[in-house]
Amino acid sequence: MADSVKLPTVNEYGYYEMRLESIGGLGANLCGKMLGELGALYLGLNAASFSSYGSEKRGSPVKSYIRWCAPETELRVNSPVDKPHILGLFHENMAGKTPVTAGVGKDTKIVINTAGTPEETIKLFDIRAGTLYCVDALKSAMETKSRINMVMLGAIAKATGFVELSSVYTLCRETIGKKYPELIERNLAGVRLGFESATPYEIKTDKPEHDADTGTPENRWGYQNAPIGGINPHIGSTVSNDLSASREGYIPLFIPEKCIHCGLCHTTCPDMVFRFTEGEYKGRRAMKNRGLDYHHCKGCLRCVNICPTEALVAGLEREHIKKQHFIRNKDLIASRIDYEDTGANSWITGESYMDEKRPDGGVV
Amino acid sequence: MVKQRVMFESGNELAAYAAKQINYHVMGYYPITPSTQIAEQLDVYKAEGGHDTTLMPAEGEHSAAGICYGAAAGGGRVFNATSANGLLYALEQLPVQSGTRFPMVLNVACRTVSGPLDIKGDHSDIMYTLNTGWIILFANDPQAVYDFNICALKIAERAMLPAIVAFDGFFTSHQKRKCEVIEDDAEVKRFLGDYKPEFTALDVENPVTIGSYMNEPDLINNKYRLHLAMEKSRGIIDEVFAEYAAFTGRSYSQTAGYMTEDAEVVLFLLGSSYHTAKTAVDKLRGEGAKVGVFTANILRPFPADMLYTHCKNAKTIIIGDRQDSYGAGGGNMTLEIKAMLQEKACTARVLSRIYGLGGLDFYVEDAISLLREGFGGDAPDFDYIGKYPGNPESELITYFNPVTQEEATPKLTETSFDEEANKLIVKGVRVNESTRMPMRIAPGHGACPGCGIPVNVNLLLKGIEGNVVLLFQTGCGMVVTTGYPKTAFRVPYIHNLFQNGAATLSGLVEVYSRLVSRGEMPDRDITFVMVSGDGGMDIGMGSALGTAIRNNGLIIFEYDNGGYMNTGYQLSYSTPKGAKSSTSHVGKHQAGKDFFHKDMPMIMAGTHLPYLATVAESNPSDFLRKAVKAKYYAQNRGTVYMRALSACPLNWGDKPERERQVIEAGVDCCYFPLFEIENGITTITYNPEEKNKKIPVTDWLKMMGRTKHLADERYSELVKNIQDETDRRWTRLKALHDSPVL
Repeated sequence: MADSVKLPTVNEYGYYEMRLESIGGLGANLCGKMLGELGALYLGLNAASFSSYGSEKRGSPVKSYIRWCAPETELRVNSPVDKPHILGLFHENMAGKTPVTAGVGKDTKIVINTAGTPEETIKLFDIRAGTLYCVDALKSAMETKSRINMVMLGAIAKATGFVELSSVYTLCRETIGKKYPELIERNLAGVRLGFESATPYEIKTDKPEHDADTGTPENRWGYQNAPIGGINPHIGSTVSNDLSASREGYIPLFIPEKCIHCGLCHTTCPDMVFRFTEGEYKGRRAMKNRGLDYHHCKGCLRCVNICPTEALVAGLEREHIKKQHFIRNKDLIASRIDYEDTGANSWITGESYMDEKRPDGGVV
Repeated sequence: MVKQRVMFESGNELAAYAAKQINYHVMGYYPITPSTQIAEQLDVYKAEGGHDTTLMPAEGEHSAAGICYGAAAGGGRVFNATSANGLLYALEQLPVQSGTRFPMVLNVACRTVSGPLDIKGDHSDIMYTLNTGWIILFANDPQAVYDFNICALKIAERAMLPAIVAFDGFFTSHQKRKCEVIEDDAEVKRFLGDYKPEFTALDVENPVTIGSYMNEPDLINNKYRLHLAMEKSRGIIDEVFAEYAAFTGRSYSQTAGYMTEDAEVVLFLLGSSYHTAKTAVDKLRGEGAKVGVFTANILRPFPADMLYTHCKNAKTIIIGDRQDSYGAGGGNMTLEIKAMLQEKACTARVLSRIYGLGGLDFYVEDAISLLREGFGGDAPDFDYIGKYPGNPESELITYFNPVTQEEATPKLTETSFDEEANKLIVKGVRVNESTRMPMRIAPGHGACPGCGIPVNVNLLLKGIEGNVVLLFQTGCGMVVTTGYPKTAFRVPYIHNLFQNGAATLSGLVEVYSRLVSRGEMPDRDITFVMVSGDGGMDIGMGSALGTAIRNNGLIIFEYDNGGYMNTGYQLSYSTPKGAKSSTSHVGKHQAGKDFFHKDMPMIMAGTHLPYLATVAESNPSDFLRKAVKAKYYAQNRGTVYMRALSACPLNWGDKPERERQVIEAGVDCCYFPLFEIENGITTITYNPEEKNKKIPVTDWLKMMGRTKHLADERYSELVKNIQDETDRRWTRLKALHDSPVL
């Protein structure tokens, strides 16, 4: 093993801490695990890592935590990282939702996967302190046929200021290289591109640093006022969950002129998106498809696939910000709904999820 | 000292690594979070050829414990892992194992016991084992999980008692840490030595009776002997720890303490929190406060004397319990430490605190404030930390009205009973018209994009007019709809654990019938529907069969996605043969799942229930028609069983938008034929052969990531085997269809 790397800075308990904020499917868990392994096996440090995920298994918020410390220091803390030295943000979509920038201070190095400029990113995430490293990890991953997490791994290594690219290479060869030897070169290329493209941008604002997001959020119902036994009379209340993070770029678009009102979309939609009401079709009384409540849509595109007349087609969500044929769910009696992000608060339960296998068959 | 190497692994992975090195004869198990990874990782090692332990997935923890008992009675080295309600389901078997004195090792990744259901860590499960006669080691970090797994077997075999290695679920089971393992597996075996029990059930030359029927003059002697063995194990534990220290350099004691010698205030904590509190101690010591923290590495036998050495000089002893013995004035550690202090005539003040329930994080700051409380005179003797009263000021928005009986009765179909054919005739099923039915489940549930569960449940409910009362067994369908403080349901709903859903719902059905017949409530046209995954129909098979045999009036609806998807896709009995799952890996030494998928409809048919049907979303009219029939039969004739082939894009490894085609292919290859058995008459309702749509089973298997490896030439024998079995079952079904006598 290599001689121990000296950590340039640690918190009051002796730890150098990292937090990765991501959406399931981008490989943040694996990245976190590899960073832990990097510290423990290749930098001569003591290390720990663990991950948590949100209420959904795919397309849901994921957090990964890594602690490094000197080899002789005991790792005693088991709670989440609140004030990270490194914050890795894997997706721009997380801006303004769960407090992904919690605990960021002037010494925090923030590595973001974005095609935007540092100025745009600071504005988008309202970042008030730290040093920013903007990395277009998606583009680099596509160029190298690698994955976003490999580019981010390289960029994070660079941002630490004390991890050599060669240690990351060794790590990758020993882990991914042994499991997927045919993929190693392209992944090393991804790591290198991340390492090389990460350049610091110092954030100078007079705004206060970000508060650490410690503790567990409190709900309306506590021990004094909740119905006994955990019984829940608040029917249909999942409707206020914000599902936009589940969508992977695409939404179904509706072309009413082509619709034959067969109702197949209604049978295949897992999320009750389609709004049918009584009307007339071909001179007869019939249930007619009026449109979609996009708030309920997770973008699975089952409906596009099943539609016999191409009245439903896939479109890029960002090209259709103002959604045509948006029909509000008629069953809703609430005049207003504050859509809430569900956040990451469960643990990754198994190694199978850690692999974050994707339907398109992507690995690593 | 033995040669070791550094790894970066979690507690679960290290438990599995130790088990691989030991090369147990048999592991009987049933997956439950957070212990599941142990069996998963052992399966990975097995596929690679790392060991040849027989890994036996039981249909529930009770059977898993039974498998272990049988294997132990045969003189084998035996291993198991479980958590929470899985442990409680197996609990009955634990005293059998210890009372008849067969050693084995059980890992418990500690998790809170339901209900309400919570998958995260606390110590409410492990405390149920205190009276079972098992030695209990508690590991407070991943390294100790590895070390204790090796020590536990040696202790167990020397004491002739079974042993548990417990550790914190998630905090220890899932946190990856730098750790050391013994490099050469043979060295582990050398350390353990051979196991030659005096009695086994396989010794035909010296036959013995295991499990005597025993009356009162004798049972007390058996139990006294157990007590003596437990007392003797104190010395054995010390011996084995000493041998292990000489072997690896890592030494353990039955208890551990930090800065307790001169401490005025000491804190007792079990598990990973002990380490967290050491940091708090350092901080408070820096401020001049004389504080310390101590813990137990062994819960049985309880190391009372050694624990006393850590608190004998303290003025205040604070005991943190990650569980409560409700009504006893503290959790079990409080009770046991108080008993020890009374024995020592100790007069220190004792404060008891319940903390960290259901996985609530324990921060350094929490430990600091706990220790500070010890210096205040007005601290209550007992309290919960981390609780909150709630905020009645925050607005509670009503999103929906309940679904009314009138709304849910649009009279879309007409039914009449054909007495001669002994069949219900359903007219007017139209997919388009079914959109009139109000949705009983609201959007915003957390199912993965493209998930088949809501698709199938909605299709079923569209066919059931009037009121419905739902019961979901544990599984994805339940977890994604009822995350507190939200719920997706707009109709009455109950969850019960998946061994017991059918029985629970049959109780509800019968109380409804009694209430109506006594005039205590009006007849509300209620159809009772139980929804379960195929996992729930493994562990809950007995309960479902019992309900169908009693013929209680309800629908058992199974969404069959062929795996335990909620816990990360372990194999179920319905997983296709050859499929890879996290407990049936594909490797040089293993080709995925090694037995055929369970034919649950035919098992249910054996109860001679009035109606059963298989359905698929790819045939929505057929599905709706069968749902209408299901309502009729559940309300008028008795138990109905329905099974839908249900997509799981995450674990099937296919694209969410293509699921209906995948389902269709599953039907067209006759792996999942659509049929019904109505009053004993079998009818195939969709015959792909007649439509000229029948395809080979590989055409379906290659559509999914979990089975596409089977298209490779090297699995041709296995695929032929699957095709033959599929054809055999299909041919048999056609014979049933052709003959009303069958």
